[in-house]
Amino acid sequence: MARSPGPAGESVSIPSSPLPQRRRRRAAGSPWTPYLFLAPAVLYLVIFQLVPLLQEVWLSFTKTTLLNPNFNVWVGAANFQAVMANPAFRQTLLTTLVYVTACVVGSVGLGLLVALLLNGRFPGRAVARSLVTVPWAAPGIAVALIATWMFNPQFGILTRTLRAVGIDPGPNGVLDNPRLALAAVLATTIWQLVPFVSVVLLSALQGVPQELVEAAQVDGAGRWMTFRVVTWQVLKPTIGLVAVLMTIWSLRRFELIWLMTRGGPLGSTRTLVIDLYAQAFESKQLGTAAAVGMVGIVISLIVIIGARLVARAAAKEA
Amino acid sequence: MRQIRFGVTARALAVLVVLGLAIFPVYWMFVTALAPDEELFRSTSVNLLPDFSRFGIFGDALADGRVARWLLNSVIVAGGTTALSIGLGIPLGYALSRFAFRGKAAVGLALLFTQMLPEALLVVPLFAVFRRFDLLNSLHGLILADTAFALPVVALILKGAIDGVPRELDEAARVDGGRPPTVLARIILPLIAPAIAAAAVIAFFSAWNEYVFAVTFVFDKSLQPASVGVAGFIGEQDTSIQSIMAVGLLFTLPAVVFYLFAQRYVVSGMTAGAVKG
Repeated sequence: MARSPGPAGESVSIPSSPLPQRRRRRAAGSPWTPYLFLAPAVLYLVIFQLVPLLQEVWLSFTKTTLLNPNFNVWVGAANFQAVMANPAFRQTLLTTLVYVTACVVGSVGLGLLVALLLNGRFPGRAVARSLVTVPWAAPGIAVALIATWMFNPQFGILTRTLRAVGIDPGPNGVLDNPRLALAAVLATTIWQLVPFVSVVLLSALQGVPQELVEAAQVDGAGRWMTFRVVTWQVLKPTIGLVAVLMTIWSLRRFELIWLMTRGGPLGSTRTLVIDLYAQAFESKQLGTAAAVGMVGIVISLIVIIGARLVARAAAKEA
Repeated sequence: MRQIRFGVTARALAVLVVLGLAIFPVYWMFVTALAPDEELFRSTSVNLLPDFSRFGIFGDALADGRVARWLLNSVIVAGGTTALSIGLGIPLGYALSRFAFRGKAAVGLALLFTQMLPEALLVVPLFAVFRRFDLLNSLHGLILADTAFALPVVALILKGAIDGVPRELDEAARVDGGRPPTVLARIILPLIAPAIAAAAVIAFFSAWNEYVFAVTFVFDKSLQPASVGVAGFIGEQDTSIQSIMAVGLLFTLPAVVFYLFAQRYVVSGMTAGAVKG
């Protein structure tokens, strides 16, 4: 489009066009200014996040069913006691622990390896760095769809591969095998998380001072030594941050697990969020579901606060 | 010399293996969509190459009124979520970046805190609220729910971007008499346009992929977004696997393409939010 002359064009060419003199007043405006900018978004989040969250807290102390959600009977801590006394819930906690730990260790470990690999110089590096992020860009729903097809008991390419190397997942396939389902869900999750970790670590690797690496090598340090003394020290804070993010995200992950296994078979992939959803929409017990949700929130909070304390201690030490 | 050359080859091989692992599932979706039945359900061998003569299956998928409707609903919900969360996120990010005020730390912490709330936790109380305000079974209801989860991330990304704009620029404009909204619109927004685009990509595809609210709040088949439609294919027997994979790919490709563009900002925004929150 040709540039059109006229007032619009002129105002573009003078971006900071001064306003009339009478507007000259205290630069920062009134002390209320930030709150005016803040108000719409904060109000929105209060209505759609805080209020429902508080309702959920309250629900966790009541007996409420999905069929009659407005009829609530206050039961105190009974939901929490019932949840804790249930051996199936201990299984859920253990599954959650295994799932989250494996997600964090797997994604951070492999992500670091991929980042180091892509950090070097080689032809086509830019293309490689873009393509490697495809798993993270793919929508979780589509990932669940393709994973269930690849794990299809009869025709899935991964099932065939497993059979070819001598692992027989049984007639109903990997996702219906209590000993393999969690591993399959984990492999899919980690496949999706690794690119995110490696992109974050790649950008942190740009902060490794090249002089220090060279100095270490001049001093006769081997590759491993150089990595430990220089690279690792620079990456440490970022790795800590990514590990916390991975923990929180894995604690709340729902679609991928739900669509692949619904928490089964035999509860072998039933994490806290799956349990929460199943309690609400399958058992129709909203109070129990809310109590399960509160357990999850407390765990997430402990992780966040714990990570902050560790980071603060590390900063003090340095 | 020989050792160095070997190192380069080993690295190239490792990179190829990693790329293969990263891309294979999406590629396999493509191959499956184009494969004839006899090849898909043959137990002896596997054909790893796509059969381009069957490319028309993607056209058939789009011509299916149901699929077109899903994608259209998703575009509406995701577009609305993007507009709303950017509209609310810009002033919030600006306030967090440029002003000192009481409660600032609490707001930052609250934005981080929302990252740990699962949709499955809030879906029950939100359902009750939505019923009271007649927002169930509607696309605008989904926009309102999805925005609640997109907004914090958007605001943190935009705050990070505004932090990167030198304060001297807007202070100069303010001394010249520009009031904060003018400074924001005239000076800051044009400078952070790439970050706004990245935040828009994130907001759009978080709603594009949203499942829990969509499957719970919408009952009419004609109002279902593609996330629910695609998820419904899992375990379904009536539709051919080729058509399912074709639709799945149509649902996946926009996200992959846009994320490749926005990747750099997405990463810096997400980590910045978590560091400073």
